[in-house]
Amino acid sequence: MIAVLGLVIGVVVGLIVQPEVPDAVVPYLPIAVVAALDAVFGGVRAMLDGIFDDKVFVVSFLSNVVVAALIVYLGDQLGVGSQLSTGVVVVLGIRIFSNAAAIRRHVFRA
Amino acid sequence: MAAEEQPEPQPEPQAQPEPTPEPEPTPGPGPAEAESTPRHRLRVALWPPRLSRGQVVVATLLLVLGFALAVQVRSTNDHSQLRGARQEDLVRILDELDSRQQRLQQEKTQLEQSLAQLENSSNQAKEAQEQTRKKATELGVLAGTVRATGPGIVLTIDDPQRQVKADMLLDTLQELRAAGAEAIQINDVRVVAGTYFTDADAGVQVDGRKVSAPFKFTVVGNPQDLTPALNIPGGVVRSLEKQQARATITQEQKVVVDALAAPTVPQYAKPAAK
Repeated sequence: MIAVLGLVIGVVVGLIVQPEVPDAVVPYLPIAVVAALDAVFGGVRAMLDGIFDDKVFVVSFLSNVVVAALIVYLGDQLGVGSQLSTGVVVVLGIRIFSNAAAIRRHVFRA
Repeated sequence: MAAEEQPEPQPEPQAQPEPTPEPEPTPGPGPAEAESTPRHRLRVALWPPRLSRGQVVVATLLLVLGFALAVQVRSTNDHSQLRGARQEDLVRILDELDSRQQRLQQEKTQLEQSLAQLENSSNQAKEAQEQTRKKATELGVLAGTVRATGPGIVLTIDDPQRQVKADMLLDTLQELRAAGAEAIQINDVRVVAGTYFTDADAGVQVDGRKVSAPFKFTVVGNPQDLTPALNIPGGVVRSLEKQQARATITQEQKVVVDALAAPTVPQYAKPAAK
């Protein structure tokens, strides 16, 4: 419950404050957000499986974000940034979908 | 405990959860079994809010995620798409804009050219129309369908003896024309190319209309040419005086020939090709 509250508060604060995104972070923020979403879906699924552990969640969350940003950064340095970021988004999207399917099966039994 | 990460790269666990929920509904009624259903776990996790360390840490991470999400959505919607675009994308967009600008510039040049052409032709058409109107007016003066004004003379012939015949008026007219008269009116009859004089019982007819003394010639032309032409020895004035008629000439800076002749359409004559 507190976790859900945290998410809601974060969205509200972000909408209210409207900070300027630093230019250095601009290319990585969307990928990082998608990676974090993937981690969150994985966490929800693990919770429904009864195997949730906050330590694992924190580590996976942070590592997802860092790795995603790193891949995009590396792609930018290699000159294939847009293709790599597309690939990362596709992979993360597939994972989010599969996690969402597992969550759906747990919650709706369908 | 690493299962949170493990199911994701491997597709097999997706298939596994399916069988697990299915057996649960059957023994479902037992409270011990209900403890382990995912729905129950969800409810337990959601409702009585517990302030455990894990919850707080997860909430902090989710807060950061929500914040980043909102900021990203905001910046994507607020700013143009150029913000956050990659360098090569920007270069491509710039190239596209450049070529588009070139195309538009070409189009603009073409349109301006056609505009200039149209203006030119419109000016020419206006010019031609103006010239045509001018020509029509000039021809109207000749044909007697337009009133004429300008310097000229007024020749009045008093004929108390009624001796003035058509031939004398014709002589007068010829003399005026020879002297350069441009528009002539006798009393209220406009003299045009087809004007004719006839003697009738009651007097003289011009173009079939009776004119009676005093005959008043209103003539537009150069007065310095017209007056001597009439006054030459043996000329019109002398001839008229022989017939007991008295001719008086007044030169004026502005005379008005305001009688109009009905335009006639030639019935047989047609313009011949050159």
